[in-house]
This record gives sequence, C-alpha cells and structure tokens, in this order.
Amino acid sequence: MEQAPLDPERQLQPAPLEPLGSLDTGLGAAVGKEAEGAGEENSGVDTMTHNNFWLKKIEISVSEAEKRTGRNAMNMQETYTAYLIETRSVEHTDGQSVLTDSLWRRYSEFELLRSYLLVYYPHIVVPPLPEKRAEFVWHKLSADNMDPDFVERRRIGLENFLLRIASHPILCRDKIFYLFLTQVFFFYLADSRLKALNATFRVKNPDKRFTDLKHYSDELQSVISHLLRVRARVADRLYGVYKVHGNYGRVFSEWSAIEKEMGDGLQSAGHHMDVYASSIDDILEDEEHYADQLKRSIFFYAEACGKAVCRKHELMQYDLEMAAQDLASKKQQCEELATGTVRTFSLKGMTTKLFGQETPEQREARIKVLEEQINEGEQQLKSKNLEGREFVKNAWADIERFKEQKNRDLKEALISYAVMQISMCKKGIQVWTNAKECFSKM
Amino acid sequence: MAGGPPKALPSTGPRSLRDMPHPLAGSSSEEAVGGDSTPSPDLLMARSFGDKDLILPNGGTPAGTSSPASSSSLLNRLQLDDDIDGETRDLFVIVDDPKKHVCTMETYITYRITTKSTRVEFDLPEYSVRRRYQDFDWLRSKLEESQPTHLIPPLPEKFVVKGVVDRFSEEFVETRRKALDKFLKRITDHPVLSFNEHFNVFLTAKDLNAYKKQGIALLTRMGESVKHVTGGYKLRTRPLEFAAVGDYLDTFALKLGTIDRIAQRIIKEEIEYLVELREYGPVYSTWSTLEGELAEPLEGVSACIGNCSTALEELTDDMTEDFLPVLREYILYSDSMKSVLKKRDQVQAEYEAKLEAVALRKEDRPKVPADVEKCQDRMECFNADLKADMERWQNNKRQDFRQLLMGMADKNIQYYEKCLMAWESIIPLLQEKQEAK
Repeated sequence: MEQAPLDPERQLQPAPLEPLGSLDTGLGAAVGKEAEGAGEENSGVDTMTHNNFWLKKIEISVSEAEKRTGRNAMNMQETYTAYLIETRSVEHTDGQSVLTDSLWRRYSEFELLRSYLLVYYPHIVVPPLPEKRAEFVWHKLSADNMDPDFVERRRIGLENFLLRIASHPILCRDKIFYLFLTQVFFFYLADSRLKALNATFRVKNPDKRFTDLKHYSDELQSVISHLLRVRARVADRLYGVYKVHGNYGRVFSEWSAIEKEMGDGLQSAGHHMDVYASSIDDILEDEEHYADQLKRSIFFYAEACGKAVCRKHELMQYDLEMAAQDLASKKQQCEELATGTVRTFSLKGMTTKLFGQETPEQREARIKVLEEQINEGEQQLKSKNLEGREFVKNAWADIERFKEQKNRDLKEALISYAVMQISMCKKGIQVWTNAKECFSKM
Repeated sequence: MAGGPPKALPSTGPRSLRDMPHPLAGSSSEEAVGGDSTPSPDLLMARSFGDKDLILPNGGTPAGTSSPASSSSLLNRLQLDDDIDGETRDLFVIVDDPKKHVCTMETYITYRITTKSTRVEFDLPEYSVRRRYQDFDWLRSKLEESQPTHLIPPLPEKFVVKGVVDRFSEEFVETRRKALDKFLKRITDHPVLSFNEHFNVFLTAKDLNAYKKQGIALLTRMGESVKHVTGGYKLRTRPLEFAAVGDYLDTFALKLGTIDRIAQRIIKEEIEYLVELREYGPVYSTWSTLEGELAEPLEGVSACIGNCSTALEELTDDMTEDFLPVLREYILYSDSMKSVLKKRDQVQAEYEAKLEAVALRKEDRPKVPADVEKCQDRMECFNADLKADMERWQNNKRQDFRQLLMGMADKNIQYYEKCLMAWESIIPLLQEKQEAK
C-alpha cells in the first residue's frame, strides 16, 4: 500500500484501519471498489498507482524452511520450523529481480495473519493455510511436524497462501500483509488490531439501527441462500421434465414408421418434442444468470453494507465506550484524590493506608495531572463522538445508497426473471402449438 | 354362399387390409406346414362340426356368426356410414354413478348403466341397471365366445399392478368408470356386437346372475372345444395381410408401452418439480417480509409461482386421468386383436387341414366335399369380419390418438398460458414501482 522505502514510524501507523471515521476507506475496500482516500496523505489516485506498482513489481516466495529452537512466552523451550519469506522487486530493465526483503516467519505467524484477514475482511474468502498438523495417519507415523516431507508440503502451501493474497485485488493492499512481508515486528500491530476487532461483542450500547441492519443482512443472506438452493433444485426438476419429453421425439418417430396416415404427423410432432427437450438448455442457462444476479447483488449488499459497516461501527462504538470508561475512571480517581475518600477498594487505597497520606503538594500535582488527562480525554471523547456521528451519518448515507442500488438491482433481476419465464412459456406454447398442428393432421 | 372378401368396404382403411390375397391362392412362403403337429384330418373335421354346432346356439342373435359374410359386411358398411355422419345412432349407453357395496363376504363397486334405444330389440326406450366389474368381465367373455370372428374391445385391467393402488379410491374408481364407459361405447358403436343378445341382456336384465347361471353349462362345453382348437397347428400360408397386422400390433404395443412409460415418467418428474415449486414460492414470501419497498413485488413473484404450481398440478392430473388410460386401453386392445388373429389362424388351419385330407384321399376328384366348402366359408367369413373390424379399429385408433395427442398438446398449451398470464401480471408490479421512483 505504501511505497517501498518506508519510514519505520509511519509503518507502524496502521493505514487501512484508521481513521475509523473515514467510512469510505473501509467500505470502499470492502466492496472492492477503488480504494479512495486510503492513506492519510495519499490521494486515491496515488494509492492506486502505488498498488499497481506494488503488485507488478514484487515476487513473493517462501524459499526455505529451517528447524529452530527458542523460548516461548512461558519461557519454555520449544522447537519449531521457520520459513524464509523473500520478496523481490523485478523492476530492473533486464528483468532481473532484486531481493528487497527477506525474513523468517513461523507457522503461527501465518495463522495470525490469516485470522487478522478473516476478521477484517469478513466478506472475502481468505485463502486457506496448509494443514496445521500432519493430518493423516501415515503422516503421523513419520513422527512429527518436523518430518521433511511435511515441512516441504507446508512450505509450498504457505507460499501459495501468500501468492493468493498477493493476487487478491483487496487483500494485496492490506497494510498488515505488507508488514508481514517486510517487517519483523508486524506481529505486535496485527495482534493489537485483532484484539480490538474481536472486541465487538463487548460493545455496551449498540446502535439499534446498526444492529437492525446487521440482523437484516443476516436474515437476507440466509433467505437468499435458501432461495438459491431451492431454485437450483427447481431447475434440476424442470430439466428432467423437459428432457423426458425428448423421449417422445424418439418414440414418435419410431412409431411413425409403422403408421400410414398418422405417420407424417407423428414424425413431425416427434421433431417438435425434440425441440422442446433441447429448449431447456437455453432456458436454464438464462436462469443461471438470474441466480448469479441475485447472488451478486444480495451477497454484495449483505456482506459489504450490512456486515462490514456494522462491524466498523461496532469497532468505533467500542473505542468510544472504552474512552468514556477510561475518562470516567479518571474522573473518579480525581474526585477521590480531591475529597480523600476511597469509594472502591484499590491498590492506591491500600498504599495510602500502609504508607500514610501523601503530602498535599503531591496530591495537588497528581490531581493536576489527572485533570489534564481528563481534559485530554474529554477532548478525545468529544472528537470520537464527533467522529462517530460523522461515521454514522456517512455510513447511513452510504447504506441508503446501497439500499437503493440493491432495490434497483433486485427489481431488475426480478423483471428479467419474469421476462425469462414469459419467454419460456411462449416457447412452450409455440412448441406445443406446432405439435398440436402435427397431431391434428393425423 | 361364400361371398369372398367383401370389396365394398369404405376405402378409408389401411391399404394392407384391402388387397387381401385369398387364403388358398396366397403363395406366401413364410409359415410352412408343421407336419408333425398336424392332427389327423378326421379328428379335425369332427371337431369342426362340433364347434359349429356349439357356436350356433349361442350365436343365435340378430347378427350372429351364422349369418353369411355378405350380410355381415353389409351391416358393417351401413354402420360405418352411420359412424361417419353420426346421426343415425339408435343406441346410447352411459356408465356413471359408481357406488360402493359392503357385504359380509366382499366389498365391491357397482356402476349405473343407463341405456336409451329406439331399436326393436329393446322393449323399453330406457333402461337403468347396476353392474359390477365381474359383470363386465362376463359380458366380454360372452362376446368373445359368441362372436369369435370379431374384435372385442378390451376391459380395463382387473388389478392395477403398478404400485399399491387403493381399489376403492375415488381416482381409481373414476378411471375405471371411464374405461368401462369406453368399453360399452365401443360395443355400442359396433354394427355386430351391439346387436349381441348377451349385450342386450347385460344392458337390460334386472337379475343378471340368473341369466348367467343359465349359460354356465354351455360355457363349460364351449371352453373345452376352444381348448381343442388351440391344440396347435401351423398354418401353411398365413395371408400376408394378417401377418402384417400381427407384426404391426407387436410394434404398436411396444411403442405404446414406451409412450406409457415416458408419460408416467414425465408425470413423476412434474410432480417432483411441483414439490420443489411449492417450496420455492414461499421463499419469496419469506423474503418479502424482510423488505419494505420490495415486499409487494416479491409477494407477487411468490403468488405467481403459486399459480404456476396450481396450473402444473392440473396438467399432471389431466395427464394421469385422461392420457394414461387411453394408452392403456390401446395396449390392451392390441392384445385382444392378437387373440382374434390367433383364432382366425385356427380357423384357417382347420380349413387347410381338411383340404389336405381331401387332397390325400381323392386326388383325382376335382369336386371339393361340402364340409370343406363350408369350412372355407367359415374362414372367409372370419376374414371378412376381422378385416372390417380391423379397419374400424384403425379408424378409431387414428381418431382417438389424434384426439389424445391434441389433448395433450392442448393441456400443455393451457398450462403455459396460465403461467404466461401469471408472469405477465407481475411485470407491471415491478415496473411501476421503478418508474414511480
């Protein structure tokens, strides 16, 4: 998403997620539109060119696997396999690629990247990772995950995983993905982001409109998938009905051979039955179109609008609530200090009791600091509130736009469906009228 | 006395039936004499006389078998002409009002048979009797006995083999009623069969069982004689024409069987399609409850699919009730026809055997004995009757199938028209809203 030589400071600023208030970024990316105003400084056009640049000029490979031993978070020794990720730029005129980055990652980091992508892009099918453990019995027989065959298979799987992300129009632009390829400490960022993203269920005061929207999109999605399933079955059956009629074609023509006066009529009626049977192919192909149309417009809407926006909104709401909570606790502390009362049991209360009262100066200073923090927090909260309102406003405008678009699309789809049915009926009437004429001549 | 093949029949029949070679003159090579299986001529002769004697009492009806071929063919001719303009009908039979009877021994269905006629054979202008399937069965076997040279229309099968069908279900009874009605109509339309004494009794007798008992003694004797004749004899020369009909019937029955299976399969597919449609429509309804602006159009689509499924159901019902039974009747018809053909072959066999016997005994004598001549007559009568019947059958078949297949096309057209209407009615619902916006 960014230019190749990156200022480390800036890299640590997660570009695609923030500012949260800018709906266009998330929604735009989520719905696969052109990323508009993605970076703070970059204009949309710039971003696009950078993206293209990035896509074209970089080659990714997982070139090596190595067994390592290290200490884990619990300070226990563990053995794992690390994989060397190499990115090369191929911008040289002679087509020679130049190694730009190479770093070691272990499987769990790939997992982290994937779960981040899963959470952040719920509407996108994130490529799968190779199996975590040897899945088959005969794999297990060869001891463990360190088995060279297994490691090699996994290496290829991991490389495919990265290549698939890199070839995805939206995922490839993701900042975290870029960091994964280039910065050793991507982990920290992704992890904190993940935590925030997973926090949605902790939102205390969800906006009813958004929950309704989310609810609606969930329902819509389930109805439409049901609809599509049943439609597929209906189409199958219809296919059967038509195709069995084709047998009439054969038997009429065979029968016509032994009839005299009836022969010609039967023969040509049989021909019409053949036509009838084969007409279903086109009909169903058209219907498939309709199904696609439905799938596109609905899933698009439900996923992009319903889910992505709602998730973003939840995230914001979460931020806001956290800030408010923080502010409230600071206010309480401040009040406690000012009045000298301790309402809740706290470490501070304990220390006070144990080590005696602070001096008034100390207290003054602390109150001052707290007050400053409170001021700051209030400012933040205000701006977050503002941001939130802005987001809601923008989001709704966007959602409305989407809704209209969706309604239009659906109506169009329904009309074309009805038109299809009508033409099918007309075809049917035509064929049977022709057949009837043949029969009447018998 | 021997009129030879009647030439005056209306020429609408198939060609093959018209240029019938004389059974003796025919030099066709196909069916060679089965020397070993040929019974002794004397035996055959004796039996043939016996047959004749036995048949006569039964066939002593206004147009029995004993009537000369010429008169029979004349009748055929008249009746055929009548059929064409359809105005001079003097006998009408209707089968309706099925009723279930539950007795201690058995449960059965009777059908009301109403007869209206101006014929002198009927004392009253109108009769109404109740008959059960058994009675129809009796009538048919009586007809077969007393009019062996004629093609007797088939009865619906006694038991429906396919699936476990409830014999007393409304659909089954109705289908059977239609078939029985058709059976009687076919007899009624027949210039010879409609004058049959048993038929008359069947239509008019208050107590048919009493009449049935009278005939039993005769029936058993008849049965034996029929068995004797069936004893097997290979024809020297089977007229090409009848051989062709035999072949035709084989293929015909085969093709109808295929069509029957296809039709059943289509109905099955349509019913499965219907099941899915019934689920498909309501999904749109469910969807509509989620939507504001789209609710109405979606409801419209749902209702439309509902209409289409109703139309489809009508189509399958019609096909089941009207299409399949006619096919079945004709499949059975071809069996009846085959059995008449077999009988004809027997009569010819008898004649040939006699002729051979005569030839063996008195090679020099040019004159043929009277009994052989009689036998020849009989065969020629048979041929003429059968030919007329087959021609009639061909005509009926043509008309019936034209009607049947046109009916099928019509039903399908109607189905599509209903669907078309339903779908067309939605379009404005979808468009207006869009334009209003």
